[in-house]
Amino acid sequence: MSDALLVSNALLWIAVIALALLVLALARQVGVLHERVAPVGALALGRGPRVGEAAPGIEAPTLAGARIALGGVAADGRGTLLFFLSPTCPVCKALLPALHSVIAREDPALRLVYASDGPEPEHRAFAEAHGLDLAAYALSTELGLAHHVGKLPYAVLIDAAGVIRAQGLVNTREHLESLFEARERGVGSIQEFVARERGGSDTLTH
Amino acid sequence: MSALDPAFGWTASAALALVFAQAAWHKLRDLGAFAAAVAAYELLPAPLAPLLATQLAAAELVLVGALLLPPARAGASLAAFALLCIYSAAIATNLARGRRDIDCGCTGPALRQPLSGWLLARNAALGALALLGAAPASQRALGLADALPIAGGALALFALVLAANQLAANAPASRTLHARRRAAEARR
Repeated sequence: MSDALLVSNALLWIAVIALALLVLALARQVGVLHERVAPVGALALGRGPRVGEAAPGIEAPTLAGARIALGGVAADGRGTLLFFLSPTCPVCKALLPALHSVIAREDPALRLVYASDGPEPEHRAFAEAHGLDLAAYALSTELGLAHHVGKLPYAVLIDAAGVIRAQGLVNTREHLESLFEARERGVGSIQEFVARERGGSDTLTH
Repeated sequence: MSALDPAFGWTASAALALVFAQAAWHKLRDLGAFAAAVAAYELLPAPLAPLLATQLAAAELVLVGALLLPPARAGASLAAFALLCIYSAAIATNLARGRRDIDCGCTGPALRQPLSGWLLARNAALGALALLGAAPASQRALGLADALPIAGGALALFALVLAANQLAANAPASRTLHARRRAAEARR
């Protein structure tokens, strides 16, 4: 009798551990699926200038002292990636290496402009600590307002003609890559992508 | 009140040792990332973060060993409880500041877990395990037959903690997915 109980106990423990591991595996698969289904285009917020519209023309002061022209047709034919950040935003900091490597891979000719506002010494210390180009670090409240930036880090991809090609909240490397993906596919944002997908699949489901 | 059977305390301690071993492994594998996570909590001057990160990882490793040594187990359980309280206090402080976007630093850079109330609940559950390990137990001698429930229980608890961590890390992505769905439905 006691032997039988011991055997049954052993079998039950094996079953419990196997089930716990199964739950773990399922949870991991859900995580992987979440990464896979992240569609093109970052999450667009607010009611700022939309994709396909001209980026607001602004001359913003930079940390290097000069002014940098944003919006309008680029004289050198280069596009611009506006990256809105703040020294107090940990995600922004964590995203900087990914930002540089994504640009190097997707479009090395792209002009990268960091944008923020607030007290200059703080930004100078931040830019120097992270080796950011002072001449490409714009400090302008007007710029953030013009693009209706509500959450950070926020990125706006502008082409050489001064037209916004993609924009949105960027929290991960995948979001950054999706900006370029969106530019290639001509999709404005996640919402637009989902709406199109649903539009396409409705004919099948209904 | 009759004292607790020692198998309960041992199961709790062994599970806690596995949890801390995994946590320390993540931290030591990428100390730089963990130091950045510690700095992001903004509780101490930033230059101290790398030092503190190393010490926390070392403390967790020492706990793993001590939790599995019979003479040190009760003391190590109380130390583990204290460490969990420190972590919870750091998380609660930043939650009170409204900084929900920083990484917890609990599960390594590969599995980002933003701060949330769930982390406090998880630490409370782990703290209960630590107290169970420190609770006075009866003097029953443990035999070979006890190895099965202790090892099995510890492994199962450990796998459940890992699964819960993974689900918590999935939660933000899951919320965005729901938000997108609602946005798409509102447009129709």
